[in-house]
Amino acid sequence: MFGTISNIVAAFLTLCIFSFLYKDNPFYKFAESLLVGVSMGYAIPLVYENAFIPYVYRPIFLQNKFLIIIPTLMGVLYIFRFSKNLSWLSRYPIVFGMAIVGMFVPMSLNARVLVQMRSTMLPLDNINTILIFIGVVTILMYFFFSKEHKGTYGKISNVGIWYMMVGFGASFGYTVMARISLLIGRIQFLLGECLGLIK
Amino acid sequence: MSNNKNIFWDRMQNLDRRYIYIVVALAIIIPLLIPFNSKTYITEPVENLYKKVDSFTEREDRAILMCFMHDASTMPELFPMEVSILRHCFERNIKVFTICFLPTAAPLIDYAINTAKEVGGFDVQSGVDYCNFGYKPYALFLPILLGMGEDIAEAVETDSEGRKVENLEIMKNLKNYNELNLVIDFSASASVQTWITYARVKFGANIGAGITAVMAAENYPFLQTGQLVGMLGGLKGAAEYEKLVDVFASNNVVFSKEIVKETWIPITDKNIPYQFKTARIGMNAQSVAHIMIIVFIILGNIGYFVSRKSKNKELG
Amino acid sequence: MKRQIPLLIVIGLGLLFVVHTFVPHKISEDFYEWWQTWSKAISPFMVLLGIMSLFMVHSTKIKRKTANWQYSFVTLGGLLITAFVGFMWGTREGTPYMWLFKNIQMPMSATMFSLLAFYIASAAYKAFRARSVEATVLLLAAVIVMLGQVPLGAQISHWIPDTSKWILNVPNLASKRAITLGVGLGITATSLKILLGIERKYLGGD
Repeated sequence: MFGTISNIVAAFLTLCIFSFLYKDNPFYKFAESLLVGVSMGYAIPLVYENAFIPYVYRPIFLQNKFLIIIPTLMGVLYIFRFSKNLSWLSRYPIVFGMAIVGMFVPMSLNARVLVQMRSTMLPLDNINTILIFIGVVTILMYFFFSKEHKGTYGKISNVGIWYMMVGFGASFGYTVMARISLLIGRIQFLLGECLGLIK
Repeated sequence: MSNNKNIFWDRMQNLDRRYIYIVVALAIIIPLLIPFNSKTYITEPVENLYKKVDSFTEREDRAILMCFMHDASTMPELFPMEVSILRHCFERNIKVFTICFLPTAAPLIDYAINTAKEVGGFDVQSGVDYCNFGYKPYALFLPILLGMGEDIAEAVETDSEGRKVENLEIMKNLKNYNELNLVIDFSASASVQTWITYARVKFGANIGAGITAVMAAENYPFLQTGQLVGMLGGLKGAAEYEKLVDVFASNNVVFSKEIVKETWIPITDKNIPYQFKTARIGMNAQSVAHIMIIVFIILGNIGYFVSRKSKNKELG
Repeated sequence: MKRQIPLLIVIGLGLLFVVHTFVPHKISEDFYEWWQTWSKAISPFMVLLGIMSLFMVHSTKIKRKTANWQYSFVTLGGLLITAFVGFMWGTREGTPYMWLFKNIQMPMSATMFSLLAFYIASAAYKAFRARSVEATVLLLAAVIVMLGQVPLGAQISHWIPDTSKWILNVPNLASKRAITLGVGLGITATSLKILLGIERKYLGGD
């Protein structure tokens, strides 16, 4: 019985959102506003239990690590973000986290640039490796705007456009699949879990 | 006659979008109500991830970490992947950990573990065979990711039930990424690249991805370089993994390309619980929906060219 | 001073992180552990930003009675009730808090995104046109990948999934790699600018 009521509530809210497809209406607006509120409200107790208690309360009050009071006060400074005169105080917790860019620079250079370049410059012993090499070089040339795209240079960088079109087409194909999958999930819920029509 | 044709295509061009919506809904509802058997072919990125997970079978000194980096909005694509991988681990006695950095992902972990455990009837224990680290604030994503490279128990501290991780039996032979040798990130964003940038570069961890189809095409360069050991892309990836678990893990058989090619598992088979074939059932509807989209593209283009031709004629 | 001290903190700690990346010394490890403990203590307060921002937006809407202001009560009510229920009865499985999540947040969030399926179908019909040769190439690639991903494609002909695989593994890979290289260089340069105190936008005004 309780399960049925739960399913009815979930199905009703699902249909409220779907009603937007016909046109904007009060049911949709109600559901949308409720979603924003519940999502935010949902996070508060979880953050309290999983972050405030283990990383602030327990070290300071149970383990007497009083140095933790300093970062705690720094965290509290976030609330000044919306103050006109004191918003500069909120910079302290932000910059403390931001410092990790020092590690990001070499790591990102390795993961996104060096390894990618190395794998492009493999021995050109088969047609696909050659095509990948041509594709990467011509696209990079297309994005090099310090030279006018005219003559031979223009023709070469045009090859890059063709590669990109195929790439965007592949992304579009995958995107269609993703969006349809999400709808399939909701219809499976309505037909399967609510109405028991899919076995 | 030609004028009538033009009027027809003009009308088609300006068709009310709500008619299109009805067709979309029907294209999905009908194949779900009338299931039919279709073949799921296996792609290399899925095969590689399956083999990597399977290589940890019965090993006390190896474990995988599943990072749930998504909320309910992308659940239809990612949830069947998560259930299949958990099922694979439970079938083959592979130690598995779960973690999330979004509050809305926390219940999804419990839901996935309970689904795999209860539907599959596995006798697995939290803290012994698997462990859910639970929700950790997003601000701790990097500190925990990096911390696990040194000491998992120290970085994570407590699991979702509030127990000290270092005291758990599952941790006996596990220290850092040398043992927690495979991280699978399930997300609808580029978070897998954060794992690659830090855990892969600094600690040499193996990274796998379970991602929404929207993100799949972006990750092919990382597959070729080996920065990703494998990838499940969208509902198709999930359907492939479901099949692999059905064919191999649930029968305690080691992966073989020949067997997978020859084996045909009808999804109407009642012995396979619905929860373990959700993605494959969904792929039927996906087939019809893709055909529908292609028909839409063709019709839209015919209308476009017909009306362009008649406009050109009018202009002389 | 309001900007200089935070900038010095980023530069100082950032450079220590560069050292930590390359030097696995005890001091470097201790520095990292210290940063980690402090970051953990700062982390719970970030949620305050979200709550405050939401309260400010909606209370202003109610005060000024702007369009659809009544729905702001629903948002704030949803926030307060969910948080209250979580603190009152806990956040474990089987609590009212979990019921709210499973039957309100989860279905609505999933449905909101599923609307995109309808919009993409409508866009395919109304906007996806072969206006030029390049657009036709994009369209063809999309159609092949779409067919190649579903079981029906393989049943029509094995060429469809094979071609789709080739598109993804060769031209798509090349295009995504070139973009990855560009993005990689871009974010590395931006990070370097933050590290050296040249980029300061993240500090906000004043």
